[in-house]
Amino acid sequence: MDVTVPPIPAAYDEYRATLLAFLAAHKPVLSWKQRTGVRVPDDGADVELLREYVRDLDEAGYRLDRFSSSTERSDPYEQRILEQELGAAGVPYVLGNPLVAGALKHFGTDEQRARYFPAMARGEHIWTQLFSEPDAGSDLTSLQTRATLVGDEYVVVGQKVWSTWAQWADFGYLLARTEPVEGAGGITAFILDMHSPGVDVRPLREMTGTTDFNEVFFDDVRIPAANVIGAPGEGWRVAGASLAEERTGVGSAGGGGGNDPGQRLVRLARRTRRQGRPAIEDGAVRQQIGELAARSRIQRHLGQRMATKAVKGQITPADAPIAKIWFSELNLETTEAALALLGPRSMAVEGDELAEEDGRWQDAFLYARAWTIAGGSNEIMRNLIAERGLALPREPRGPSPS
Amino acid sequence: MDFGFSEDQELLRATTRRFLAEHQSLADVRRSVEGPDVFDPAVWRQGAELGWTAMMIPAEWKGGSVSEQPLVDLVVLAEELGRTLNPGPFVPCNVVAGALARFGTESHRTQYLPGLAGGGVTAAWCLSGDGSPEPGAVEVRARQEGDRAWRLDGVARYVHAAQNASVLLVVATDPDGAACQVLVPRPSAGLSERTLRGLDVTRRFAEVRFEGVMVPAANLLPGGQDAVDYCVSLATVLQSAESVGAAELLFEETVDYVKKRVQFGRTIGSFQAIKHRLADLVLQVEAMRVAAHYAALAFGDGLDDAAEAVATAGTYVDDTFAHICGEALQLHGGVGFTWEHDVHLFTRRAKVNQVLYGDGAWHRERLVRLVEDAVEG
Repeated sequence: MDVTVPPIPAAYDEYRATLLAFLAAHKPVLSWKQRTGVRVPDDGADVELLREYVRDLDEAGYRLDRFSSSTERSDPYEQRILEQELGAAGVPYVLGNPLVAGALKHFGTDEQRARYFPAMARGEHIWTQLFSEPDAGSDLTSLQTRATLVGDEYVVVGQKVWSTWAQWADFGYLLARTEPVEGAGGITAFILDMHSPGVDVRPLREMTGTTDFNEVFFDDVRIPAANVIGAPGEGWRVAGASLAEERTGVGSAGGGGGNDPGQRLVRLARRTRRQGRPAIEDGAVRQQIGELAARSRIQRHLGQRMATKAVKGQITPADAPIAKIWFSELNLETTEAALALLGPRSMAVEGDELAEEDGRWQDAFLYARAWTIAGGSNEIMRNLIAERGLALPREPRGPSPS
Repeated sequence: MDFGFSEDQELLRATTRRFLAEHQSLADVRRSVEGPDVFDPAVWRQGAELGWTAMMIPAEWKGGSVSEQPLVDLVVLAEELGRTLNPGPFVPCNVVAGALARFGTESHRTQYLPGLAGGGVTAAWCLSGDGSPEPGAVEVRARQEGDRAWRLDGVARYVHAAQNASVLLVVATDPDGAACQVLVPRPSAGLSERTLRGLDVTRRFAEVRFEGVMVPAANLLPGGQDAVDYCVSLATVLQSAESVGAAELLFEETVDYVKKRVQFGRTIGSFQAIKHRLADLVLQVEAMRVAAHYAALAFGDGLDDAAEAVATAGTYVDDTFAHICGEALQLHGGVGFTWEHDVHLFTRRAKVNQVLYGDGAWHRERLVRLVEDAVEG
């Protein structure tokens, strides 16, 4: 048993120094305030600055393997330094929703991979995901957006929702119904040019007050038949493969270092008072922080276990849902604990001089429900664990609406 | 990255499971609970041959481990023993073996380790008057009598398997108020114990009294409070692993039960209310597992975050084990409420594990202190 990560040799100090100098010179100054979660700039000028930044990184050879279609692996120490410093730089280095990468990797054609991967890496193509519909959320296979083959083009009519980055996207990863059958069998995955006539993107404003998701409407939108990913009718499998990768990513986020929830809450509890003394001296507060700190450490260990299973080819259908539920519920409870610690001061939010850390905790609390709902709600995750992990009977389906 | 067990360790698991099925199954344990004693010295000696008490002991004292990580090897054993609610003194014997191997003098090791490794010597660990690891709760006083002897007076309670032990490792306070540990052979003059009527019917606990018990000065274990802390951590890791095994088995039985039990013309496992509760148990068992495994790895290998890892296991594992028992009982319905069903045996084990070697609240407080230390100013 071994979870140690080999320390980065001193020989890589120069690589890091060169990267840091590069970032200092190229990192854009944005008007947009960074918040926790998958958030999207609201100013097109920021998006252009970010595209330049991502292009500069790519041209300088700073590329992450996880967004590459190649199976060749770069130097692992350089990759680690790159992840660390790009993350620490505090501006996004992945533009749009990269979910399509998994689909193209496993189901795309060579032409598709050659065309879309490099452009995504350069920041030239921003992608969005077009899966959920107003009447097809958890029950995604009931989706009703239709794509009808006319000659060598599909004609798309329908509506999508909960698409991040759609307002700035160049391409969409679309699921639509191509066959006149109900359920998963009739669904096909497409690459959609978001600049096509008939595509109408309407930004949504969510409970956070920010705009991170969109509605997307299709009015006779034409897609070349060559833009199908995989085979017609195979869309549910394509989506399943990429969603599994997304859930794994959610689970591995967070934990450790200065962002450790335990450490953040200890700092907060030192600054706030309860019954005339620092909250950190309150026994109930200490117990709660201890509990959350333990669960945060366990989150890291669940990730280590999953990485080990992945190497040994032992991943089960329950693993990604376990990580997703654990992370999203702990994240929600951590923000709730923070607001409780702040007491009446939790009323003051971003932009008010009384706000703690300019309202980051309130925003994180409001946004936390995105994690428990999106990417497969936690209720759907529990169904997956019970049905695929424990082989309990599947939920019965109701009759199709007429 | 390999956060899993090796092939040799999996082999150890299979061998242990087979041995327990043949020689001391859960059904055997159940049969023994209403008898005079749950401990079976013959099985214990055979178990020792399979390494139950040898892992923490170096080869020169007849010990030996499967891998370079003896504590991880012990986790495998603890999980298997936990699955059958084994009554034996697995935790105390390994705590004492580990403490003697690490802190003991040459003569302590020579005198006790080969016997512990072979199973002929069994040990108990007397922690405090109220069973907690609070230094202020230690009620045994040790004072030196002349140059050659220590005299012990006081009481230690909730001591596992003291009745079966041939040697006790006793936490005491010296006249300066500092913690020390003293080896006391059993029997000794002035030493007595009373078996408790206990909540956990699969194990026997005792109240141990020391009335002018005299031992040679050489019986003092070096290490003071550090050695006590080491023992608390080792006990926490081993008990956590035992709880993981027990929770796993009970969970498996519960899944089997809801797949078979039919009400309203359906197996109850087809109801979403039941499925979601089981999904939560999947999360909890997996979380218990990684917490216990990481604690063993970090404490055994002396990683930087060993103390945090042990406190995390202490915080999460046994409270969650108790919760899982409650869920298992509820999901079994009326049959789980009967004396004949095994659920109550697990529930009883869990309730006692929750309060031994530091309860969840104690470990949470420890973890917060460690986080505070990590946050400057």
